Amino acid sequence: MSVILKTDGLNKVYRQGGFVRSRQIKALNDVNITVESDRPVVIAVVGESGSGKTTLAKTLLRLETPTSGQATVYDQVVTGRGTTLSRHDFLGLVQPIFQNPFEAFSRYRPVDAYLQETAIRVAGMSGAEAEGAVAGALKSVGLDYAEVRGKYTNQFSGGELQRISVARALIPQPKLIVADEPVSMIDASRRMIIINLFRKLRDEAGRSFLYITHDLATAYYISDYIVVMNKGQVVEFGAARQVMGNPQHAYTRLLLDSIPTTTKKWRTPKAAA
Amino acid sequence: MGVLQYVAKRLGQYFAVLFVGLTITFLIPRLLPTNPIDGYIGQIQARANGALSGNDIALLRANLEELYGLKGDVLTQYLSFLKRVIFQFDFGPSFTYYPQPVSQIVFTALPYTIGLLMVSTLIAWFLGNVVGLVAGYFHTKRAASILEVVGIMLYPIPYYILAVTVILVLSYLIPIFPLAPSFPVGQMTLQKAGMIIYNSLLPAITLILAGFGWNILSMKALAVATTEEPYVTYSRLKGATNWTRMTGYVFRNAMLPQVTALALSLGTVFSGALLTEMLFSYPGIGLILRTAASSADYNVLYGAITISIIAVATAGLVIDLIYPLLDPRIRHR
Repeated sequence: MSVILKTDGLNKVYRQGGFVRSRQIKALNDVNITVESDRPVVIAVVGESGSGKTTLAKTLLRLETPTSGQATVYDQVVTGRGTTLSRHDFLGLVQPIFQNPFEAFSRYRPVDAYLQETAIRVAGMSGAEAEGAVAGALKSVGLDYAEVRGKYTNQFSGGELQRISVARALIPQPKLIVADEPVSMIDASRRMIIINLFRKLRDEAGRSFLYITHDLATAYYISDYIVVMNKGQVVEFGAARQVMGNPQHAYTRLLLDSIPTTTKKWRTPKAAA
Repeated sequence: MGVLQYVAKRLGQYFAVLFVGLTITFLIPRLLPTNPIDGYIGQIQARANGALSGNDIALLRANLEELYGLKGDVLTQYLSFLKRVIFQFDFGPSFTYYPQPVSQIVFTALPYTIGLLMVSTLIAWFLGNVVGLVAGYFHTKRAASILEVVGIMLYPIPYYILAVTVILVLSYLIPIFPLAPSFPVGQMTLQKAGMIIYNSLLPAITLILAGFGWNILSMKALAVATTEEPYVTYSRLKGATNWTRMTGYVFRNAMLPQVTALALSLGTVFSGALLTEMLFSYPGIGLILRTAASSADYNVLYGAITISIIAVATAGLVIDLIYPLLDPRIRHR
């Protein structure tokens, strides 16, 4: 058993306002999650906007420093007190996928340059090795290097571009991929391509995912563990089937009830009264 | 295909602008109620104390009309004007420095104006952007905001006040540069070229200081906004260094509006020339324009204005033709 992800009393406080009326916002309020497993897992983090999901992702990606507490990924402390991991080793361990690939890639830069640079800078490959690694990574997401080479973001569809960013994240062979709402900008018919890709990468390539979403349906479909967040706190955490099948917390039930279904009849509040 | 179409479109616009510009320069002086030949004959008549007979005047008028291209109706004049300007760049002789041709006067002054104003505009653009980029990229650091203060302090000073201050400080209080610079004429030698560059330094410094502040402020604002963009954060997670992020991502993405601003400021180079050249007695197009305007030297005015139109349109064209190199979205449409 190895510790895939562990957050230990993780806190992040943002200050708002000036000297006189400063307000503190607890974006992460004592977040404690421990996921131990022998095989790679998908951990879904769900919650409404402003619940702290993205702050959690940013903290795990070292884009934000936690106010207190620490986080461990695959037995290595990645952020918070007691971090010894170098920036280079960290990027080899944890890699991101952003929400909107059109914003993640600069529009003045061919996208394959990103893959090449990741291979050379993060994975420490030579030019020739990088070529091979890029081609391999693109193949694993179902794309052909020849069709990607030298093209810019405006020449791809959203789904293709998001698959390229998955390929980029795979190049340094990270153990954990943090995907912050990776399918929210992609139309519904293409979402499952990405979601199934995560599943395939988990089962075949042995990558773990932290899948941040507000889409409970895909979270249920793919994840092994679910973290439900509300106002910076973890309100429910556990194995996916257990949380979804038997929600303990009122907020989780509320979230589950707000999924529109085809079996229940839509009732307006007036008709209900 | 996208690029060819783009270039063809821009070239078409370029020639259209030149054509409209030439037509306007031709028409506007002809809307004036006075006729330069009447004025000129009047001057000669006054000098001769009215001794010229009606016959002489008619003869003189015919000669002058022939010489200055003012023969026939407006349409004939227009066609011959276009023919001479486009194919020979011939504006006839200067009235004041007769028989020196206008094209010669204009072409002597042109390198001075282009040399001084284009170079100082480019330097101001470059320096302003570098300072603005650093100030914007590190906007959370206190030291960087000091850089912005430079821009805030320089920008609102009116150009003429800045120029007079620079003259006072650098050639009167600390006499590094001459108060009345002289610009050697004739065959160019290395020594003369050095002297011209030395004498051009003072106006150049003023122009750079004046253009610098605006570039700092605008680049800083762009850089602050760009630094917050997801692609800058994303590049950090693929191992890009601070320097690469600042140049390859923030500057690269904030650059396009600044290039447009450069094209616009190159367009105003000739209107800036007027004031600069008067203040620093610098022998460029601006000084010629002013002399010609005050002595009603129509042909020189035509020549100087036409060359300004051509130069400004060409600068704009060059910048627009560089665009596809900078923006892949034009290249790959």
